[in-house]
Amino acid sequence: MIVVNYLAAGALLCLGLYTVLTRRNLIKMIMGLSLIESSSYLLLISLAYRRASTPPVLLNPPQGQTESSLAKGNVADPVLQNFCLTAIVIGVAVTAVFLAVAVRVSQHYGSLDADRMRDMRG
Amino acid sequence: MSKASTVRPERHETEPTHRPLVGAVIVAGFAVVLVLALVHLPREGAALPAVARYAMEVAIPKWGITEPVNEVVYGTRGFDTFGETFLLLAAVVAVIVIARHREPRTGFIGEHVAGTREQSQDGSRGGGGDEEARQAEKAEEPEESRTDRPVGTLVPDNEPIGTPGPERAQGMSVVVRVASRLASPMLAVAGIYLFAGGYSPGGGFPAGAVIAGVVLLTYAAFGYGRIARLVRPAVIEFVELVGAVVIIGCELMGLFLKGSFSANWIPLAEVQTIPSGGILQVFSTAEFIEVATGLVLAIFVILGMEHDWAGDRDEAEADNGSVSRRRRSRRPVRRSSARSGS
Repeated sequence: MIVVNYLAAGALLCLGLYTVLTRRNLIKMIMGLSLIESSSYLLLISLAYRRASTPPVLLNPPQGQTESSLAKGNVADPVLQNFCLTAIVIGVAVTAVFLAVAVRVSQHYGSLDADRMRDMRG
Repeated sequence: MSKASTVRPERHETEPTHRPLVGAVIVAGFAVVLVLALVHLPREGAALPAVARYAMEVAIPKWGITEPVNEVVYGTRGFDTFGETFLLLAAVVAVIVIARHREPRTGFIGEHVAGTREQSQDGSRGGGGDEEARQAEKAEEPEESRTDRPVGTLVPDNEPIGTPGPERAQGMSVVVRVASRLASPMLAVAGIYLFAGGYSPGGGFPAGAVIAGVVLLTYAAFGYGRIARLVRPAVIEFVELVGAVVIIGCELMGLFLKGSFSANWIPLAEVQTIPSGGILQVFSTAEFIEVATGLVLAIFVILGMEHDWAGDRDEAEADNGSVSRRRRSRRPVRRSSARSGS
């Protein structure tokens, strides 16, 4: 049933995309981008899931198991968890860049409405 | 006051949208493709990919660490993390460049008040804005001299209920301050534990985020004055770059000593001890520094942004040519007060 998670991630991505496409407020567009970001976290973590698996930790193996049997056994995918871990922090930093740009844009135009920013329109 | 409408053009009831129908059609088409792709992804019963299996199996023999995720982040896929670290650094540098001030600053927030004070001492500015600035300056005082500040009006609990805004105190009410006093030490210890115990789940990324959270919590509860001595660009930027240099050095040493970038060159310690994991712990600690200072920098730089570059039309109209003087003195603390003053 993990496919439900995949579809939820897809729905989040579509919501974010719709927000970015149709909103005119820059802050809301940035929120849409954050939604798209979070959808990727959900997808990565769901892809790492395996049925009845243990977390990828070799600390204190349960009774009757050794660390190497754990490593060869049924575990969740550590590589995708790594991607998610780093992506979250990068996502925060990138959102900070967007927000800084939004502040400067709003100072320059006196507005956050993307439709008012037409200085480069021929 | 027609400019009030130009500053805040959006009203709740009529949110402007941009071609919602076209957007809906595009998103619907995209959703169809996405669903087709998503239902064909490997599910929970799939075998572990070879990369992941390899990472699990080499964790203890090759890296001496019982936490494969940390081993992947800083070991087997260390080069990837190396790139991400400098992506983070680039993002932080971008924020700093976009948000930079006209003149160098020693603190992140509130320095414009010092400029305003300088101006009011010169006597070059008259008008009702001065009184406002002086009161605000009183509120900001703890930044320079915390010891001799009067512990009276600055605490929000001592303000009578219903005092008209803007609030003068930097800190928050006693509930928030007590809660923050209780939570911050615990959070700080938890954050340090996350990267110190590298053999258990954690690592530099979450630890850095937690410590950035502690700094923000302290800032929110007590105001910038409390942390101004530590959280200022000269310190944070330096520490951030030290973290970056340690990461580069740690990864390059592998190239020189072991023949491959990001290879382990530190002898493995006993499993499940703090120094276990060779260069993983060095990388993780440096990453912690990098993430904590990077997030703190990004957030405080944005908090301290002002009208430095955009010509302020409101003031230009109102002041009729005295803009340059205003600019030098920084904007008054609150726009509304400046307007009512002029």
